[in-house]
Formats: sequence, structure tokens, C-alpha cells
Amino acid sequence: MSETALDLKDVCLSLDGNAGRVEILRDLTLQVERGETVGLVGPSGSGKSSLLMVMGGLERATSGQVSALGRDLSAAGEDALARFRRTHMGVVFQSFHLIGTMTALENVATPLELAGHRDAFDRALQELEAVGLRDRADHYPKQMSGGEQQRVALARAAAPRPDILLADEPTGNLDGTTGAMIMDLLFDLRERHGSTLVLVTHAPELAARCDRVIRLVDGRIDAAGGGA
Amino acid sequence: MRQAWRIARRELRGGLRGFWTFLICLALGVAAIAAVGSAARGIEAGLSRDAAALLGGDAEAEFTYRFATDVERGWLEEIAEEVSEIVDFRSMAVVTRGGEAERALTQVKAVDGGYPLYGEVVLAPQMPLAQALAGVGDLPGAVMEAALIDRLGLEVGDTLALGTQDFVLMARIEREPDNAGGGFSLGPRTIVATLALAGSGLLAEGTLFETQYRMRLPEGANLTALKAEAAERFESTGLRWRDSSNGAPGLGRFVDRMRSFLVLVGLAGLAVGGVGVSAAVRAYLASKTEVIATLKTLGAEGRVIFAAYLMQIGLLSLVGITAGLILGAGLPLIFAPLIEARLPLPAVFAIYPAPLLEAALYGALTALIFTLWPLARSEEIRAAALFRGMDGPSRTLPRPVYLCVIALLCAALIGAATLLSGVPELTLWAAAGILGALVLLVGAGWLVRRLSARMAKSRALRGRTALRLAFGAVGGPGGEAASVVLSLGLGLTVLAAVGQIDANLRGAIARDLPEVAPSYFVVDIQSDQLPGFMERVEGDAGVSRVDTAPMLRGIITSINGQPARDVAGPHWVLRGDRGVTYSAAPTEQTKITAGEWWPEGYSGPPQISFASEEAEEMGLSLGDEMTVNILGRDITGTITSFREVDFSTAGIGFILSMNPGALAGAPHSHIATIYAEEEAEGAIARDLAQSYPNITTIRVRDAVERVAEIVGGLAAAITYGAAATLLTGVVVLIGAAAAGERQRVFEAALLKTVGAVRGQILGYFALRSLLLGLAAGVVAVFAGALAGWAVTVFVMEGTYRFEPVSAVLVIGGGIGATILTGLVFALRPLAARPARALRARE
Ligand SMILES: Nc1ncnc2c1ncn2[C@@H]1O[C@H](COP(=O)(O)OP(=O)(O)OP(=O)(O)O)[C@@H](O)[C@H]1O
Ligand SMILES: [Mg+2]
Repeated sequence: MSETALDLKDVCLSLDGNAGRVEILRDLTLQVERGETVGLVGPSGSGKSSLLMVMGGLERATSGQVSALGRDLSAAGEDALARFRRTHMGVVFQSFHLIGTMTALENVATPLELAGHRDAFDRALQELEAVGLRDRADHYPKQMSGGEQQRVALARAAAPRPDILLADEPTGNLDGTTGAMIMDLLFDLRERHGSTLVLVTHAPELAARCDRVIRLVDGRIDAAGGGA
Repeated sequence: MRQAWRIARRELRGGLRGFWTFLICLALGVAAIAAVGSAARGIEAGLSRDAAALLGGDAEAEFTYRFATDVERGWLEEIAEEVSEIVDFRSMAVVTRGGEAERALTQVKAVDGGYPLYGEVVLAPQMPLAQALAGVGDLPGAVMEAALIDRLGLEVGDTLALGTQDFVLMARIEREPDNAGGGFSLGPRTIVATLALAGSGLLAEGTLFETQYRMRLPEGANLTALKAEAAERFESTGLRWRDSSNGAPGLGRFVDRMRSFLVLVGLAGLAVGGVGVSAAVRAYLASKTEVIATLKTLGAEGRVIFAAYLMQIGLLSLVGITAGLILGAGLPLIFAPLIEARLPLPAVFAIYPAPLLEAALYGALTALIFTLWPLARSEEIRAAALFRGMDGPSRTLPRPVYLCVIALLCAALIGAATLLSGVPELTLWAAAGILGALVLLVGAGWLVRRLSARMAKSRALRGRTALRLAFGAVGGPGGEAASVVLSLGLGLTVLAAVGQIDANLRGAIARDLPEVAPSYFVVDIQSDQLPGFMERVEGDAGVSRVDTAPMLRGIITSINGQPARDVAGPHWVLRGDRGVTYSAAPTEQTKITAGEWWPEGYSGPPQISFASEEAEEMGLSLGDEMTVNILGRDITGTITSFREVDFSTAGIGFILSMNPGALAGAPHSHIATIYAEEEAEGAIARDLAQSYPNITTIRVRDAVERVAEIVGGLAAAITYGAAATLLTGVVVLIGAAAAGERQRVFEAALLKTVGAVRGQILGYFALRSLLLGLAAGVVAVFAGALAGWAVTVFVMEGTYRFEPVSAVLVIGGGIGATILTGLVFALRPLAARPARALRARE
């Protein structure tokens, strides 16, 4: 098996916005090793979220090659991508994105269920316990605070024991203390499962917790900011 | 108010986008009612414009089984400038070809030279009526309706017989001015000259026919006074007066009835639209929660905000109602040529303000009722909503003031409909029905949500993601369950009710009746023909039973020496003339409930046996004296017995029977019912017609089919109305699906993110639609069956039977509609790239 978790070659992404075609990612080439944690930083609008989406197969690159765990994502169909994510990827968003018509437990159980695990609900309950929300299992997202919702989202992303965790400013909508708790949980989960983590963040101290920091400027990797 | 108006104006700058469900729902409901009202008004106007032609004269005097006496005719000629005499009766038209006789029942109109006083008979080939009726050579002419010509396989120039008289078919009747709407007749029309019937044996004394004397009155004749005079002088001799002030009272009433029914269906449609309106307003206000909370933060009072949004909704309602009125007034105008061609009635299509006002009133009240509830909640949005997520107001009842206002508006709507519909009792029942259905559907919506939430959590569903998701979506917070079940359910309820009633009606007519009903109804058997007639039918092995009775017509003029109406009120038995018979002994079927039948060979003063149910209704008792005018002669008898008379089996039933001596000498014929096996029917009819050309045999099966046809036509019209209601329901459904589309795009993206393939997502969407459609359909069938039962049992006094076919169609339709819209609106969510959908929610 490949030692590279994520492998991007000459990736370009351009989208048709209202004001014409916008080039968002330009000729990006980068590799993330298995087990590595990478912090993705850069000014607003530089393309961090877009890059994360491309890595997760949620957005298709306009050109270039994207592969994850040795598998070519750029060639895979929509459903194949979904099946791949089921078992290999967990995604956490800035605004939580829980399914509003499902309880916390159901939200966490869904990816397990989709992956065909018979014990989806028992495992989901364990995951909720791991983020300290066992007693909120039957609550709907609307009945929870932002921090609690994000913990549920974390549990959902981590439940299938994904090889790759993608997190887009998971603390961006939360206050400092709650944010710090979420971050601890995130790194904790990563540590336990040995997942690869790509974390988009604006906070330098969070980036500093990562093995490596990649700085994006205007859709390109800023050589000056790289390293660690 | 100023402030509110300024806020409203700014909010409306965004245009009407997002309001199309609101507008279409309101417009459709208003349009349906306006169109029905306008069309009905048009027909009423047509009827009154052509009243004289429809009636055949400015006024008409009608007699049963006899011509006018010289005194009567003298009076008619005195008051009129011109009098035309028409004889109307049923007969058999017979064509003989190579020894084989073909025969068909026809409604014959025998006319004099004056006919028609108004309007024109249009014939094909074109020729004046007089020329056609003159015939060719010694043979008089006849003209017939196309249906009859086809049935008998005739060509113009062929010979046919009525009774013992031969006629030449001269032309086809294209238009008969005094036959608009046809009334109810069992056979197609034949017109001949009365003089030509002299040798036919058809108008002998005692046979069944009606005469009508149509009059052209002098300009400015006082109809009311003439009518009163006619009543005073000739009511007791059976003269029935009609004039052009109510030329076609039956038709007018019929049109009015249809209008009432369709307006009621339209109101149900408006209620369905109201649900859509309410859902649209709720969705709009939910999207405005942030704006409202911000305005409150800036110091706007609840009142101002309520007023601002009320103004917006008011303006939108105005737009919707106006669109509905334009549509409703325009449709009949646009389709006027089409409608006129298919309608057997004259109509003047124009823009009539009254029905439009009525529709606008209903529309405005409905819009208010259904928007007030969600609007009232806008007051309760607190500034804090901004910071506590966009939760919208909590699920509480609006303030009591608003509840009172809503109740008052409901009362106003129902009151207006009750007053304006012309069928107050039915309207109240319908309103109760609609309210009941609404309550039932709200309850069903709630139950569906609760059950779904329960199901979503059930262990049995773990692992069946699509099902669990579907139940979760229906049962979870913010689901569309309530409004979809309510709107679609109400639309389907109306359709289910109409379906149940229609199927029961048709079933009752087509199935139940013929089992007990006779095969043939025979009229005009002369007394000297009776023995031969009996011999033929009783000797037939296929005949199980024959009943005959002498048939006379009489008018009950007084009871115990007082005018009958003063004693018994306006009972239907006293309206016009009734069949009267005589019999020496009670028949086998007779059940005497009180008193005693006259003894055999009785020849004393006249005795009467009266129908027991009607006697009770009229307050008659044994020993009462009753005077009956038969063919101008008063006969007074004593009621000595009551007996049961069953009119439901199409057998022979007379309200009034007398001892033979009482009616001796009055000219009359006999009627008979023949109960025969279907195989024997043809031969009997043939032989009877051969031996007795003057008698008329009416095949009960044909008559029943004819009635079923007419009922079917009515049901079709009402079904169209119900379909319009359903259309509104579907619009609400589409509106809900469209409003939910963004949410689904997002959900699909999320599900893809956590690993769901498109098939699973599609399955989830389809199941979710199926659940809602099924719920709406099942509740609709239940409510529809309830309504169907009520109408069948209480309005039509029939027996109700659940009709599964219509029910299955309704449930299937509900599921089909929701799945179809669900899937159409699933296309975009399925196709969307997760990244973009998720980003849109950042
Ligand atoms: N659907 C779209 N169509 C056109 N342009 C888009 C679309 N989505 C994003 N963009 C543009 O792409 C660029 C990159 O956006 P992206 O969200 O990846 O930036 P980001 O680095 O995550 O910024 P932030 O730190 O603010 O989250 C931005 O300039 C944005 O305006
Ligand atoms: Mg971003």
C-alpha cells in the first residue's frame, strides 16, 4: 500500500461565477504522507476550502490529478467517490452541517450504516461518548449549542475510523474555550486512530500544532510560508 | 401605519419571486368560482332571453290526457293573439323491411299549423316545417332526431309507421326551438302534424298524452294577472299555466343547482388553496425571521411589523384575486363558442359583476383566514432570535385576539356562502364537511409525524438507511408533512367523496334496480285489447309476472269540503294531477295498513284506498272525504283504507285507488308491467307491437340506462370541479417540493459527503414522498367515504356501499403525485456537486 495519503499533481480549479470564470486553484502540486498532520493557512479567499473539497472528492478538479490512498479520485464517478468517503474519509465543516431532521445519534450512525455496519448504532453511541455527548444522543441539532453540534460532527467524521480527516476551520464559529476543546478532541481522535489530518485554520497557534503548514496565496502554494 | 407601509414597500422591492404558490393557489380558487358563476349567469341570461322560444310561446296552458274543452280553449283564444296546439306523447316508431319490423320508442310531438310561434325548426335537408309535415302524395310527413333515424336505419324518403298510420321521413331535426335541454325524455323526438294522426289510433280517449296550448300574447300583457285568472278559473280542471317569466323553471332550477354544487366544490378548492397560501406565508415569514428580529432590535414594535407584513400579504392577495377574476371571467368568454356548441342551452357569455364579486369576496376572506395565523406569529419573533440561531417563533397559538378574528372571518365566509349559494342547508353541511376534513387532516398530519419519528428510531429500521432517513425527514422538525398532507389530502378528499357518491349513484341505478324492476312498462292498452294482451304474455314461459291496472289521471281538489292545499299544505301529491286507478279486490302485493277494502261487488258511494305514507304526511285519516277531478268531472269519495305503496321498484304504484263503480264510464286505458327473462323480452315486444300498434312498450333497462347517462353527465361535471380542487392541491404540493428543494440539495450533498451513493439518496427521497402521499391518500379515502356515506344516505336516501376502485385510484393518485413531484425536485439535488451545496450554507 502506498505511503502517500494524498497526492495532488498540477491541480487547477476554475469555477464559473457571476462575474465570469474564476481561477481558484492554480497548478497545485503537493503530497501528504500517511499519519501526517497538515495545517492549511492563508488569507481569506485564497482557496483553502476549495482545496480541501478537491482533496475530499467533493469538488472535481478542472485539470490535474488527485489521488487518495493510491486511488485516482479525478477519474472516479460520483458514487464511487461516495463509497470511498464512506470508509476512508471524514469531513468536518466550519458550520457543522448536521442533518437537521436527525438526532445526534442518527447523524453519527448514518455513515456507519451506509458502510453496512450492523452495529452502526452501538458504535455511534460509543463515538458520542468519546466526545462526551452520550446523554444528548436523542437531541436534534436545533436543540444543541454550536460547540455540541460540532462535537457531534466530529464524532460523525471519526466514526468510520477514516484514514483521512479533513477539517475546514472547525472552530471558526465557536468561542475560544469551546474551540480549544474541539481542537483537543480532533487531535485526540487523530492520534488514537492514526488518521491523516488536513486542517484549514486561521489561527497560527493551531497551525503550529501540525507537523507541517502549507500556506496558500491566491490559489498557489506560497513557498515562503511552507516548511516546519 | 406610515412606518409599516414603508417597511412593506421596501420588502416588496424584491418582486413576486417566491410567491408563485401563494398567487397560483389563490388565483386558481378564485378563478374556478368566478368561472362557474359567470357561466351559470350566462346560461341564466340565455334562458331568460330565449324564454318565449324555449317555452314555445309567451305563455302555455297544459293538460294531461285530454284536449282543452271548448270553454278552456275559448278563454285561451280570448286572451291570446294566436294559439298553437301541441300534443306530446310516447309511441313506437316502426319500420317494416322485408317482413321484419324494427321498432323504437319515440317522443312524438304532434303540431298544428301555428307551430312554432317563436323560433324556428331547423331541418336537414333544409325546408320549411310545413312542407316537411305535408309529406309526399297521400302519405303525411314526419321529421325525426338523428339518433332515432340511425337507430331505425332510416333514410330520408323511407316509410315508417306510428300506430296504424304510415309516414314518410322527410328530414332530420337539427334544432327544435322549444326543446332546449331536452328535459327528460325516454325516446328521441319525432314531429308530425296532429291532423295526420287521426287515423293512427294513438290519441283515443284514455290514452296517455299531454296537450299544450302555446299563446302569442298581445304586447304588454299582464302575465301575473293572466296566471292568477287561469288558476282561479281552471286549476281544478287541471290546467297548468306556465309563462315566459319562468319559461323553463326546471331548467333554471337545474342550472342553479349545478352552479351551487360547483361553487361548493370551488370553495373546497379555495380551502385547499388556503392551505397553500398559509404554507407560503409561513415559509416567507421564516425567511424573514432575521429581518424581523433586526427590525425589532432597531426598535420596531410588534404592531408595526404585523401591519407591514399584513400589507404585503394584502397586496399580494389583491394580485392573486385579480388574476383569478381575469382568468375566471375570461375562460367562459374564450371558450364560449366551444361551450355553446356542446351545451343544449342558450347562453349569453359576458362579464357579469355579481359572480365575480362573489368569487372575490370568497378569495379575500380565505386569504385573510389562512394568512392571519402565521402572520400573528410574526409579532412573537423576538430580537433574541438573531443570536439564538434562526429558530423562528415557538409553536404556540396566536394571541386570543387573532383567534377571535379568524373565527369571525370563518363565520363570515360560511355565512356569505350560505346566503349566496341558494342551498343554505347543503352549504352548511359542506362547510362542516370541509372543516371536519381539515381537522381530520391536521390530526393525520400530526399522527404521521409522530409515527414517523417513532419509526425512525425503531431498531427494526437500523441498517435500512433510506427508510430510516425517510421516516426521520417526515417525522423530524421542520418537515413538510403537515402542509402536504393537509393540502393534497383535502384535494383528494373532495375527489374521493365525488368518486364514492358517483359510483354509488351509478351502482344504485344500474345494478340494484333491474333485479326487482320489471322488464317492460306498457302503456295505452285499450280495455278491449286487455284480454288479448294478457293471453299473449301470461302464456309465455319466459314471463314470471304481469301486473296491470286501469290508468286515469285526477287532481285532488278538496278534502272534507275544504280546498286540499288548505288542509294538507303544499304536499307533492297535490301538485298537479296524479295517477288514479280502480280495482274490485286488492292485488296480491297489496298490504293494507288500516281500514278495510270495499267488499266484492260493492256499488255504493265511491270509496278510496290511499297510500299510507303519503296519507300520514298529509294528515289524512280514515273516514275523510276527498274530491278528485277526473277529466273535468268531480268525484267525491270516502277514504276507507290505507295501504303501502312502494315506488322504489318501478312496479305499478298508485297513490289513489277507488272502487270500480266510482270510475265507471270515465274513458281510460290500462298500463302493465311485465317481468320477463331477458331472452323472452324481444319476442314479446315484437308480438305486442304487431298485434297492437297503438300501445307503447318501454324497456325498463333502456330507461334505466338513459337515467344513468344523465346522472353520469352530472357526475362528470362535478368531477371536473373536483379535479380543479385537486389541481390546487398539486400546486401546493409542487410549491412545498420547490420550497424544500434547497434543503434537499444540501441534504443530498451532506449524505454524499458521509458516503451515500445516488441510488440511496433517490430511494430516500422517493420513500419520503411515498409516505406523505400514502398518508394523504388514506385519510382522503376515509374522509371521502364518510362524506360519500352522508350524501348517499341522507341527501339521496340510498344505501351506501364502499367503492374500492375509486378509493384505490385516489390513494394511487396521491402517491403518484407526491412521488412525481418529489422525484422531479430530486433531480437537482442529485446532480449538484456537494462542494457547492455545502459552501452555499457556510
Ligand atoms: N461557486 C463559486 N463560483 C465562483 N467562485 C467561487 C465559488 N466558490 C468560491 N469561489 C471563490 O473561490 C475563491 C476561493 O474560495 P475559498 O472558499 O476556497 O477560500 P478560503 O481560502 O476558504 O477563504 P476563507 O478563509 O474566507 O474561508 C474565493 O475567491 C471565492 O470567492
Ligand atoms: Mg474557507
